[in-house]
Amino acid sequence: MNEEELDYQAGEGRGDNAIEAKETEGLSQGQIVWRKFTRHVGAMSALGVLLATALFAISAMGVGPIPGWWKYQDPEATHPMENGGAPSANHPFGQDNIGVDNFAAVMTGVKTSLLIMVLIGVTTLIVGVSVGALAGYYRGWLDNLLMRFTDLVITLPTLVIGAVLGVMVSKAPGKLGWSDESVQEVYRWMPVLLGIALGLILWPSLARLVRGEFLALREREFVDSARVAGASDLRIMLKHILPNSVGVIIVNVTLLMSSAVVLETALSFLGFGVRSPNISLGNLISTNQGAFATRPWLFWWPGLFIIIIALTVNFIGDGLRDAFDPRTKKIPSISKMRRSFAQFTKEQ
Amino acid sequence: MFLLSFVSYIMVDFAIDPLEDLRASTSPNKEQLIANRSAMLMLDKSPLERYWSWLIGFVQGDFGIAWQTQQKVGDMLPNAISTSVSLVLMATVLAIILGVIVGVVSALRQYTGFDYAITFVSFVLYSLPVFWVAVLLKQYLAIGLNDFLAKPEPNWLLVAAGSILCGLFWMGAIGGKPGRLALVFASATAATFAVVVFILISGWLDHPSIGIVGLSVIAIASAIVVTMLFAGLANRRALYSALTVAAIGIALYYPLQWYFYFFEMDWLYIFELLGAAILVGLGVGWLFGGPDRAVSMRGGALTALLTSVVVFVDRVLQVYPQYYASGKIRGRPIATIGAETPSLHADFWTTQLDRFTHILLPTIALVLISFASYTRYQRGSMLEVMSQDYIRTARAKGLSERVVIMRHALRNALMPLTAIVPIDFLTLIGGAIITETIFGWSGMGKLFNDALKAAEIDPVMAYIVLVGGVTMLANILADFCYGLLDPRIRVNA
Amino acid sequence: MNPSVETSQAPRPSMGAALEGAVRLSRAVGGEVKRGDTVLEVRDLSVHFWVNNEWFAAATGVSYDLKAGEVLAIVGESGSGKSQSSMSLIGLLPPNGRATGSAKLKGVELIGLRGKQLREVRGNEIGMIFQEPMTALNPVYTVGFQIAETLRTHYVMAPSAAKARALELMKLVEIPEPEASYDKFPHQLSGGQRQRIMIAQALVCDPKLLIADEPTTALDVTVQAEILKLMRELRERVDAAIILITHDMGVVADMADRIIVMKDGLVVDHGTAEEIFHHPKHPYTKALLEAVPHLGASARERAAAAFSSSYVAGDEPVPLTPGDPGATAALLLEDVAIEYPASGGQKAFRAAKHINLRVDPGRVVGLVGESGSGKTTIGRAALALIPVVEGRLSVAGRVIADIAGGKSYRASNKELAPFRRDVGIVFQDPGSSLNPRLPIGESIGEPLFLHEHLRGKELSDKVEELLDSVELPRAMRNRYPHELSGGQRQRIGIARALALRPKLLIADEPTSALDVSVQARVLKLFADLQDEYGFACLFISHDLAVVEMLSSQIAVMKQGELVEVGPTFDIVNNPQHPYTQRLLAAVPVPDPEEQRRRREQRDAILEAFGVS
Repeated sequence: MNEEELDYQAGEGRGDNAIEAKETEGLSQGQIVWRKFTRHVGAMSALGVLLATALFAISAMGVGPIPGWWKYQDPEATHPMENGGAPSANHPFGQDNIGVDNFAAVMTGVKTSLLIMVLIGVTTLIVGVSVGALAGYYRGWLDNLLMRFTDLVITLPTLVIGAVLGVMVSKAPGKLGWSDESVQEVYRWMPVLLGIALGLILWPSLARLVRGEFLALREREFVDSARVAGASDLRIMLKHILPNSVGVIIVNVTLLMSSAVVLETALSFLGFGVRSPNISLGNLISTNQGAFATRPWLFWWPGLFIIIIALTVNFIGDGLRDAFDPRTKKIPSISKMRRSFAQFTKEQ
Repeated sequence: MFLLSFVSYIMVDFAIDPLEDLRASTSPNKEQLIANRSAMLMLDKSPLERYWSWLIGFVQGDFGIAWQTQQKVGDMLPNAISTSVSLVLMATVLAIILGVIVGVVSALRQYTGFDYAITFVSFVLYSLPVFWVAVLLKQYLAIGLNDFLAKPEPNWLLVAAGSILCGLFWMGAIGGKPGRLALVFASATAATFAVVVFILISGWLDHPSIGIVGLSVIAIASAIVVTMLFAGLANRRALYSALTVAAIGIALYYPLQWYFYFFEMDWLYIFELLGAAILVGLGVGWLFGGPDRAVSMRGGALTALLTSVVVFVDRVLQVYPQYYASGKIRGRPIATIGAETPSLHADFWTTQLDRFTHILLPTIALVLISFASYTRYQRGSMLEVMSQDYIRTARAKGLSERVVIMRHALRNALMPLTAIVPIDFLTLIGGAIITETIFGWSGMGKLFNDALKAAEIDPVMAYIVLVGGVTMLANILADFCYGLLDPRIRVNA
Repeated sequence: MNPSVETSQAPRPSMGAALEGAVRLSRAVGGEVKRGDTVLEVRDLSVHFWVNNEWFAAATGVSYDLKAGEVLAIVGESGSGKSQSSMSLIGLLPPNGRATGSAKLKGVELIGLRGKQLREVRGNEIGMIFQEPMTALNPVYTVGFQIAETLRTHYVMAPSAAKARALELMKLVEIPEPEASYDKFPHQLSGGQRQRIMIAQALVCDPKLLIADEPTTALDVTVQAEILKLMRELRERVDAAIILITHDMGVVADMADRIIVMKDGLVVDHGTAEEIFHHPKHPYTKALLEAVPHLGASARERAAAAFSSSYVAGDEPVPLTPGDPGATAALLLEDVAIEYPASGGQKAFRAAKHINLRVDPGRVVGLVGESGSGKTTIGRAALALIPVVEGRLSVAGRVIADIAGGKSYRASNKELAPFRRDVGIVFQDPGSSLNPRLPIGESIGEPLFLHEHLRGKELSDKVEELLDSVELPRAMRNRYPHELSGGQRQRIGIARALALRPKLLIADEPTSALDVSVQARVLKLFADLQDEYGFACLFISHDLAVVEMLSSQIAVMKQGELVEVGPTFDIVNNPQHPYTQRLLAAVPVPDPEEQRRRREQRDAILEAFGVS
């Protein structure tokens, strides 16, 4: 029954609706998004490259107590010079002027950068979504207060706040007169602290978007009908609004993460971010920029990996955006369409 | 603003540690030194009291001192501000113009190879760390270019590759059927190649100038392009008025050279002359009149503006041999350090050239990054607008594609851009910290960077308050522009 | 009397007086046209879309002739290809669309025209009126500029001359104060005025053919009547042929000389208005005509009301009507005012005031009014979704808010919980009233889950029972809303609203987003369920014919106040309040002769009240 009704798709006279409906029949929203995403060539290859890079770096240098496969596990140990420090069989990324293996250093830097990126992503996600959701859902004074607060954070370039926070994290223990051991402990955790600190300054843009999304969705009729059905505020937020804004959130967290990688390396480059004994891609470039003329490989490799990480995350974000956007359809090839039409008219 | 200063003061105060070096010192009178410095910096008081005394000073126009060098912040600021402003403004304006143009073209050629290429390039640019690019520019572009300028030996492979790339760009941007594509590609490649070869062979690089021939070509071309974009070539009056303005500009070329030779110039003069030129453009448009006086006047003024810029650039280029020969730059015209050559006492024109050679690299570094986000944004907003109903209406009215895009789509597509400009401006200010550090400009960014490292709170606060103020100004300006573009905001009804 | 009406009474202005001296930039196609000449010949026109690497037919084999001065209506439901076949005439298909076949405008082939030749036809020879005047006009330019722009594209003309011509057209379409309106932006005009501007813009170059794509769909019924009146008058004055694309049989009956009925891209019926309405050949046409609600057709007294005549607002608001003896009203509003609370920069907005309304158990009360009249506000307040700021509101004997004479009582969220069991709501847009991320089974079950704490098997049995009752297969429970058609989604909405067997149901325009044939089925289902479950219902709609089919009483709203409440039969056949009379007169009925009669009546009414 109701077969006839299937022909009357909602929407105005768009001939392609019927086809669209047939294609998506029996798929949940998540499956559709997944299918669109997996068909996005750029995003899929970016995902592959990113995962491969992460796996490569982590397996090379090991995680925690588990050692990696690379023969020089200590990124600070010096080795005898080979090939004048230029890339060689033992040191594929070359060595610096005192013989440190650049491969070990770069891989450790990649690990640090990835760790910070993930931490930033998680922190922004938590703060941004909670602030945005509360402001957008309850509106009124709470909204005003939270939004004034985000405005305050947005007034300064992230690099400036990041620099101040970076200095704060590194100086505070000494200033507060902690013991040397605890200071060392803090320095060991520096990348983690930095990731969280940067997350704490990058959330406003996400919060604004989530707020906008909540403001729009709370006026939708399905929210009213849930309220009429007796759902509590919390249930409405978590069960009805949040799943519908998940697209916006995922996409923007991804894009934020890519800019976070660049931000972290820039801070480390300036000396406000990760500093020795920790190694990050940014401070590698910073320490090596003087040696550029003589040992360019010290400069190229870390830069290359920054670009790989930022670029792949960007592409993944773009692919997700397309996948979540209901308006994007599969792009027909124009020339294919022309050819096919010529054929089609001939047949008639 | 007040809140911002308070929160950041407390934060910075907590972050920096002016006593760090003393605490680690081994000198016998360590305690005494610590006490002295604490007294000087009021470290014995609470942060709130420090903030209060800073605020009182600030409101009275005393920005405090950088205690390590005992320099007054108020004295450091003017120079730093003017340096940073020229850098950031230049980069912003260039990035917006380029980004908007490329974004619009990319949107109009959606799903073509050109669009994909632009998208890919903008992604790559977007992911580039600015400090890395800046170091690269410094090491490769500057050195390579300087070597090349010292001994112009063409690298033919590079020339050919550049020409082909240029040809591909125009082919993608103009679009059309395969036949037309090939034609566009061939002519663009050939034209680029010819120009480059001419420049290389004629020794133009040693004595660069545009000259009256170049001026004529550029002036007439800009007259035609301006008319094409804003009025359509069918509007004869607009075309003639633009061409007349171009002709006046060409005719004035020699008298102006004479004038520039005998009178010492400064910026005020230059702007007066520019104003006069625009007035002439308006006047010519008015004289041609006709039903569309406003259109002719606009075209005339734009042509006048472009022609004047060419004359100015020409005059600046004329001092190049002299500049190059002067010992101050040691035969390396593209500078990598500082905002100007120290103790270069030269006339107006040479100073401009000097400024230009210094600002070139940092600007390229900043523009590359921010151009990408404008392109992406403009492309998205243009695509959005092109799918609107009123674009369909405009087409149904029989308007040509040029009018549909320039008049109906572009203005609506620029509106959301005003929201992104302040945000991007902020990113640029942040980026300026890095570029200024790398290129050794003593601007605001470097001031901040150095002061934060030296644990001097006063310069840091001056920086934060200024940037906060500029951000607010940028936001107000953006709102104003939005109001100009969107009548729904302007007229409350 | 409005001055603009006077100008319309003036003798026919020589069309194009301002155009006579002007030099044409665009060539005229095929010479002058006289009334009765064949303007357009369409033969075997097909439109295809390139979707997922195959060609999908949106319209096939459309053929017709059109004479100058004639109105051809193309009727069909969504997806029938009625719009696309006409868009292809001026090359306005989306990039993935292609047209084949032939369409000749005065002997000049339109299909396959490109570039300059196509632009010379657009706006110059063929004028276009779109559905949504708000989005179809560029928001950043004045309306005068947009009209003059069309002119100056096709004629060499001074701005002053173009303005004169544009003003002439603006007078013709009865824009009040054309001089002042010339410099207004689209957002400063009302919906009806914007549509008039669209019409002026389409007519400004004196086209041979006018295509109107759903010209009145986005408008209120009284405004629709005015626009239709205007278009009928224009028909007499300009010699253009008109293609009217619409889904509304009432509009067709009002305007059309000839009718094409389309379904799934095919022409199923083609004939004069008289033939189609009185002797439809194709079964689909018959079904379509049957499905259209016809005002006055079902005006028999369904159930005796507790009162026999209408209450009309005069200086005093409409008083509370007496209820059924011994019954506790399912919904009772006593002198209620409702405000949208202030938010951001906006001040609080009072959307309804002095409302006295009673819905007795088992009754269906229709609430009608135009957009912005506050009818939806009342529905939402009855569900405690927006607060009452004055008066007393009670549902099934339970007081929700009582704010009068110093008292101020509003039920807290906790106290509202039992109240939520007694009410249900069906929304207008079936697409947005279901959470797109939840399978529909879960959507239906949510009230049961929250109130009756049903879990697992019990819950699933109950959901299946509900699906049965709205005549949907049980297997659908695992589908997501976007996989269902509009009609199916609305059934789900009804099932969900009825899950707790509420005493009161608020139906807020439940069928206005649906095609007529689907609407007919949903309405029938609704009536059956109402008989079965016996809930009281406040049925909110702008469509009087639909309300008439279902309700025993009708309340009419205008600008936040009730103007008349009475038994359905009386309201439809003997309206008392002038606004109700105007509203009723504006509703077009799907019958050309009856519609002509009603039209004359309407003109008489308007004359009597001196309003336009």
